This record gives sequence, C-alpha cells and structure tokens, in this order.
Amino acid sequence: MTDTQRTRRNRRGFIKAAGALTASGLAFPYVARAQDKPIRIGVPTILSGRVAQLGISSRNALQIEVDKFNAAGGLNGRKLEIIARDSKGKPDEAANNTRQLINGDGCEIIISAESSAGAFAVQEVIRELKVLCIHTNSETSSLSADPKIRVPTAFRTARQGIHDAIVSAAYAGNVAKAKGLKTWMTCSPDYAYGRDNTSLFLEYMKRFHPEIEMVGEAWPKLFQADYTENITKILQAKPQALYSCLWAGDLVSFLDQSGIYNLFAQTTLFAINMADYTTLTAVKNLPAGIHSSSRYLKTFPAVPENAAWGDAYKAKFGDYPTNWSWENSLAMTFLTTALRKVNSTDGAKLADAIRGMKVKSPFGADGTVTMRAEDQTTIGYAIGWGTTISKEPYVPSVTPGDWKSILEHEAEWKKKMGFA
Amino acid sequence: MRSTVWLDIVIAAAAMAVLLLLPLVFPGKAFSDFMIRLSAFAIFATSLNLLVGYTGLVSFGHGLFYGLGAYSFALMMQKLGTSIPVAFIATVGVSAAVATVVGAICIRLKEIYFSFLTLAFQMLLHSVIIAWTPLTGGDQGLTGGVPRPPFLGIRLDDPQHLYIFCSAVLVVSLYIMWHLVRSPFGYTMRMIRDNPRRAEFLGVRVWRVRLLAFVVAGVFGSIGGLLMSLFVSSAYPDFAYWTVSGEAVFMILMGGISVFFGPLVGAVMLLLLNDVVTRVTEHYSLMLGIIILCFALGLRKGLLGFVLWAWERRRAGAQ
Amino acid sequence: MDPQALLTCLSTASCVITQTTGGLISGMLLFLVAAGLSLIFGTLKVVNFMHGSLYMLGAYFAYTLYTATGNFTIAVVGAALGVGLFGLVFERLFMSRVYNTDVLMQLLVCYGFILILDDAVKIIWGAEFLSMGMPAAFQRPPIMIAGGILPVYYLFLIGVTLGVALLLGLLLTRTRAGKIVRAAAVNPTMTSALGINTALVFGGVFALGGLLAGLSGALAAPVRSMVAGMGFSILIESFIVTVIGGMGSIGGALVGALLIGLVRSFGTIGFPLFTEGVMFLFMTLVLITKPSGLFGKEH
Repeated sequence: MTDTQRTRRNRRGFIKAAGALTASGLAFPYVARAQDKPIRIGVPTILSGRVAQLGISSRNALQIEVDKFNAAGGLNGRKLEIIARDSKGKPDEAANNTRQLINGDGCEIIISAESSAGAFAVQEVIRELKVLCIHTNSETSSLSADPKIRVPTAFRTARQGIHDAIVSAAYAGNVAKAKGLKTWMTCSPDYAYGRDNTSLFLEYMKRFHPEIEMVGEAWPKLFQADYTENITKILQAKPQALYSCLWAGDLVSFLDQSGIYNLFAQTTLFAINMADYTTLTAVKNLPAGIHSSSRYLKTFPAVPENAAWGDAYKAKFGDYPTNWSWENSLAMTFLTTALRKVNSTDGAKLADAIRGMKVKSPFGADGTVTMRAEDQTTIGYAIGWGTTISKEPYVPSVTPGDWKSILEHEAEWKKKMGFA
Repeated sequence: MRSTVWLDIVIAAAAMAVLLLLPLVFPGKAFSDFMIRLSAFAIFATSLNLLVGYTGLVSFGHGLFYGLGAYSFALMMQKLGTSIPVAFIATVGVSAAVATVVGAICIRLKEIYFSFLTLAFQMLLHSVIIAWTPLTGGDQGLTGGVPRPPFLGIRLDDPQHLYIFCSAVLVVSLYIMWHLVRSPFGYTMRMIRDNPRRAEFLGVRVWRVRLLAFVVAGVFGSIGGLLMSLFVSSAYPDFAYWTVSGEAVFMILMGGISVFFGPLVGAVMLLLLNDVVTRVTEHYSLMLGIIILCFALGLRKGLLGFVLWAWERRRAGAQ
Repeated sequence: MDPQALLTCLSTASCVITQTTGGLISGMLLFLVAAGLSLIFGTLKVVNFMHGSLYMLGAYFAYTLYTATGNFTIAVVGAALGVGLFGLVFERLFMSRVYNTDVLMQLLVCYGFILILDDAVKIIWGAEFLSMGMPAAFQRPPIMIAGGILPVYYLFLIGVTLGVALLLGLLLTRTRAGKIVRAAAVNPTMTSALGINTALVFGGVFALGGLLAGLSGALAAPVRSMVAGMGFSILIESFIVTVIGGMGSIGGALVGALLIGLVRSFGTIGFPLFTEGVMFLFMTLVLITKPSGLFGKEH
C-alpha cells in the first residue's frame, strides 16, 4: 500500500469518525487535516506553568531554523512545519502528546524539548514507534549513556551532565588553588538533575583536587520560595566556596535572599546556571564576581555567526535566546542536513545519517559539533566558565573547557558505570 | 433479581463487543491510545465516586491508590520479573491492604477532616516516592520501561492487544462496581450518605460499610493507575500528586455525581477537552478554568446528570 | 538522613541560634499567608484553595507599583488593598454562590480561578520570571545578635507580621466588628436574624483574608522571584500550617507556621531530602490525634 493510499483510507476513516462523533455532540480531536504536503515535526514541550520559558524559547529557536529551511525551498518543495504541544511539565502527558503527535497529527519527526523527566517518557514512546527523535533539553547523562535506556532512533543535542561536571571541576579546582579556597559546600535543588549534577561535580572535584574539604550540603526543593534555612545552614558552615546548580527563578530568589545575609562577602559562589541571559537580566544589582558556566552567551564562542544568531533571535522575539534555544537550533542543523542527505523522513534512515555526523555550527567549540555515533549524543559544543560583571556582556571572558580531557574522563566514567 | 443480573451481563457483553468493533470505525492508533487512557481514568474516577457520590466520603487523596497501583505494578514487573497476571493480582492485594489501614484511620474523622487526612496520606506517599530514589527513580520516575511479557497468548506490548485488554478491564471493573451500588450493600452506602445517624439506629455498622467502600474504591483506583503504567510503560510521582485526585473530582462533577456513568462521561469530556484545547491554544489553563467555572456555577448536575434530569422532566411533562 | 549532623548542630549554640532564627523567619512569612486562609475558613467554613493565587497577585501588583513609582510603601499598601478588593469582588460574584453547596463545588470554583489567574499573569506579565530587587532602604548589612545573623529586611518583616497578628487578634476579640464576625462564624442564621447583614460580613472577611495574602505576596516580592504558578507551593505550605494549627484559629496559624518553619530549618540539617515528607507526617499525626488542629475548637 502506498503512502497516499493509506492516507486516503485513513482520511475516509477519519471523516466517518468525525461524522459519528459530531452527531453525538462531541468534536473529536483526532481529525487530521490534509496531511499530504508539509513534513510535520512534533515538539512535545512545556509551555505553561513555571518553566514555560523552556518551551517558548525552544520553539522560537526551532521556528527560526524552520523558516530558513522553508525559504530555501524545503525538501524538494515539502516544507517543514512545527507542531508544539504543551505537556504542562507532566511526564505522562509528554508521553501521551508524543503518541498523539505521531499517531494523530501525522508527525514524522519528534523534537523532544522536554525537561528530563519528560524526555525519559518520550524515549519510551520512541522505542515503540521508532520515528526519529532529537532530545534538545534533557542534560541527564543516562538518557544517552545508559545502553538500557538508549534507543536507536533517538539522539540528543543538549549539553550533558557528565561533560559539565568535568569542565566545572577542572575550572573550579584551578580557581580554588589560585585563591586558596579550601572549604566547599553545595546548594542544589533536590531533584534528579540537581542531585546528578552536584554529585558528579563533587566526584571530579575530589579526584582533581583531593586537598579540598567538603563541609556540608544544602538541598532546597525545586521551585522553593524561601531559602532562609538553607542560607543559614551555609552561613553556619562558613565555606570559602559554594557550588550550586540552582537555575532560573530559583537561582534569582536564592541570590536575592543570600544578598541580604551578605553571604557572598565570605563565600565565593560557583553557580553553573548563572550565565544565561534571562537569569542575568532578571537579577537586580547582579553581584560581580560570580563564577558561572556559559549556558548561552552571544559572546562565547566569540565568532560573528554566534553573535549574529543571538541578535537575530532578539530582533525577532524581543529577548535574547536561552540555553535551551541554541540546543534546539543545533538539533535543526543536524535534522535539516540529514533530511537533505537521505531525502526521506524514515526514522531509521535519518538515524543512520545523523549517527556520527559532524556539522558546522556557531555553537561548536571549534566551529563544529559532532553527533558521536556510539551513544548518539553531541560532543564538541562550546562550554566554559567565567566571572560575572553587572552589565553587558555580563561574562566578559570565558575560559573554554578542554574537550580532549572531557572525552578521556567521560570514557573512564562510562566504564565505571558499566555503560561501556 | 436474577433476570436483571442476566440483563446486566448481556449489556456488559454488548458493551465489550462495541468496544471491540470501534477500532474498525476509527482505525487510527490515536483512537486506541485515547481509549486506553480513558479506561484508566474512567475506572479511577468511577471508583472515587463510590466514596464521594455513593457513601458521602469526600476523599481528596484518592490519587494515593492511583500512584500505588502504578508503582507497585511497574516495580513488580521491573524488579521481580513476575508475569502480568501475578503482578496484577499482587497489586490488587497490596492496595487492598493499604486501603484497609489508611481507611481505618481516615473514616474515624468527620467531613472536611476526612478529606484533609486522605490528602495528607496521599502526599505522604508522594514524598516517599520522591525521596526513595534508589527504588523509585525519584522525580524522574521509573526509567527503562515496564516489561510486558506475553501471557495466555496476550501480548500487551502490541497496541491492539493492550487496547483489548484495557477495554476488558474497563468493562469488568464497571460491571462489578455497578453491581455493588445496586446491591443491598450499595443501598446501605447511600443510606449512610444521606443520614448516617439513622443508619446507625437501624443497626448498620456504619464504620464497617464505610471501610469496605474505601477498600473497594482503593482497589479499583489502583487498577486505574496500573493501566496507566502499562500505557506509558513507566510510573511517575505525578501519579500520586494531589492534582490527580483533583482531576478525578472534575471528571465526577463534569459528568454527574449522582449518576453511575457520570464519571465515565466526565472522563471522556476532560480527556477530549485536554486534547482539543492543548491542540488549539497555549492558554489551556485559561480555557479549562472558564469551563470549570461554568460547571461549578451553572451545570452543577454534570452533563450526564443534566441530560437524564431533563429527559425525566420531559417524560413527566408528557404524562 | 543525617541524624549525626542534627545532633552536632543541636549541641552547638550558634547553630541552634542561626537555624532557629532562620526557621522563625520562614515561619513568620508563612503565617501572613496562612492567617488569611484560617480566617476565611473560621468564618465562612470555606477552604479558599485559591489563596496562593492571591499571594501571587500581591507580588505582581507590588512589582508593577514599585516599578512605576519606585516607592516601596506605596507598592506594598497598594498591592494589599488591590488584592483585598479583588477578594471582595471574587467573593460577591462567585464564592457566595457556592456557600450552600458541598465542598467540592467550592473546590471547583477555586481551582477554576487558580487556572485562570495563572494564565492571566502569564499573559499580562509574561512567562519569564521577574525579580523586583531590594528597596534601597533595606540594602544594608545584616545585624548580628548573639552569634546569629539577622538581615534588616527580615527584621522589618517580623515587625510587620507581629503587628498584623496583634491587630488581627484585637480586631477579632475587642471590636464590635470582630464580635459580629465570630458570631457569624458560629451561627450565621441567628446572626442575620438579629438584623446583621451577613453578606457584608462574609464579603468583608474574604476581603481581609485577600488583603493578608496580598500583603504577604507584596512583602515577599523583594526576596522571591515571581512567576506564574508561584502560588502553588505557598498554598500547600499554608494549608499544612492551618490544618496543624487548627482551621479558623489565628493563634494556631502562628504556632503552626513557626513549627513548620522550625521543622524545615532543622530538617534541612538532619533529613534534607525528606523535609516535605515530615511536614505531611506531622499533619497526618495531628489530624489523627486532634482533627480540629492543635488550637482549633471541636464542633
């Protein structure tokens, strides 16, 4: 049966379905519109609630790339179309939306712009339905590293926890050595990402710099409003340095509340998620001298393509892009290159093309990013640390991470975890 | 009495036949996905209505059993590698035991305090799921999928088989609950709802009836969660969050609290609403909020309740 | 779980002082929100599930007023009054229609409004989180008391909260209006038979509850980032507080809030990953042993 035939039969079925249900007074949602022309990309993501910014800034970035691809003629005239759907941050909704996008809306490709819990749920759907899927926002290492969780047609273009940990520990360790920061503490949100990120950071910190002493840890809840008890706990332990992977609004609240305790007069803060524009601009009186890793900065990598991309995004949507934006943009680079190459939307064929692919990208450490074949996740993207100042460019100089060292330690970590 | 039992069985068989034929009318996978989810929510909401609508016990924490069913089933399949029927029966057993203990504590309390306590128990389970990461995966949920080995020639990793399985569980569950509410026991439940003191005077052991209703509702609530874990091939802490209980309450109120099939109709409505509205607008909350207000302020009988009421009235008018 | 750390902390004076002050501060902020919830329940016998949303509105109103005028006093007072007015309108137009129905309808109306307000905030103020920043008057180093540290802004907050608690207590026990409110709480039919306009009383109480929620939102604005949906966690916490303290008891809300604050602040040392579980455990135990709460009246 050819595709058109199947489409036609399905459509007849759907028309019948629609008729029957309208008669009973209900509008059935699965009446697919004519599905001949555009290639539909389903985007399960979060568009409401506290992290709506994730979905909005992801979708914006995808839209820019889709427009570009369509303006260049699409795939033999077939245009790309984005269908983003809100999972409201619930994993079961993410799974259900992904199924609906594929089975109901006829999406042939999935870009999963979900947070980690949602991404794992999407992964299980992809395992069953076998379309091409690119995870763009989940940084949890096991999603791609653990062979039990990995799926042949699923990829990731987000940064990865283990990479972050290695770079962070190398950088923080050097600063600690130079400034004599001996006693350390952590304050991270108590959920999978926070625990994962922090324990990996500590592991490498201890390995690189065994002389450092850990004097405690604080675990506020995700989206906690009041950090007072955590701050007093930190004050009590008097660490010279504090590592935190709090992010977005939580990080801002934490900074505001620590500020009135004068916490950073005695403690140097290493906040991995600080250097993202929404966070940098939201803090009133951004304290100078916070160490942070680059999430998205249009000045890092310092190449004209990156600055132009950031400005173009801002011109179109009024805000600077987020960390999530570039991760989605990168997914589209892989996807469109593969589409042109195999000239099909078949999941397995696209996956074969993307596996091991190296693309030119403004977000690459050396101008390119590679989709590593063995675990279908990206390497070679820009990653580095620097210190904040209170106005643009916010993080004037960024020390890039060393990918050679990242890859060595990552290989060792995988062996230890039984992943490789 | 006997003839109505037979009639009920015939109706249930007919309903099952219709469910089996429906995929011929709606061939898309989207339809069977919808029906699988519906079966989970419909059983869950109907079981809650045994408490809320029939016994007058307003539980805010029924999601306890939804989460419990999903997690105990999925964990047994993942960690112990049991067969599906064994895990199914064990899940029912676990929920019955938990429901007996929790129910015995909760039903001592009156009205709103009963509601609060059920909510507290549910949130306690949620906190445990979140904190016990090595077993439950914490907020990430269970990763790696729930294995679905074949049994008796039924392969639940095949969507068609899963559809038939869920339909059968839906029909059987509703059939049992339908029988329960129409039995003398169901009559006692309603008597307690309307006037517990009078029931006591008549020699009814009120607490025993309440507890039994709580346990039955808990067991079926957990079956709802079990089906959902089969569908998403995982279990998430959200299943035990109070929003799940809230959704079941909306389903009951949207369909009609005083009609047995009200929660089923409500489940269809809320799921369709969810799918349609998220499809057309980002402002799902706004739309859902307005619709909820319409029901709360205007259509308090619920849709099915209203239709039946209007029909009765017309019939009465005609006579 | 780290009971060792908890013991070590409990045996050092400075740790006890710092964590106790920290806990009391968290508790004070919690009390402001919980007091309104408790007041409304005590009088109207309604659980105002959208109380957290009123808190959120207070924070956003304060943000807008502060950005427009640059005056923190105007921002706080304006926001509190604005939310109070909103509460009044909400009570008259919607809530008053479901007093005589069962609790589920009240829940439904509140939940409908939670959803609507969350989306409305997103439409008006955007999906990105906002931060108001600390007013200049409070940008000064914290005060050291007996080895403990107390930020100036929190000192101000404690003052305001205690003032509010005192005023509320006086209002309810010493004034005619307070007596009417308490009478209406016990027997609304009798009160209205005595020629008192209970609709006015109920509206007034709801407005006052809203005002308190708005006030706490406005006071939290300088130290907490704002985002649509921020009322959710506040609702849960203040709900726990009022249940523990006793629905309808202002004093109970104060004690409950301080207790929860202390559980959190020592919990973060002894059992950092299960503090929420402990709060619910606490709530469960209180409900089992004394359903009407530590300070609630049996009825």
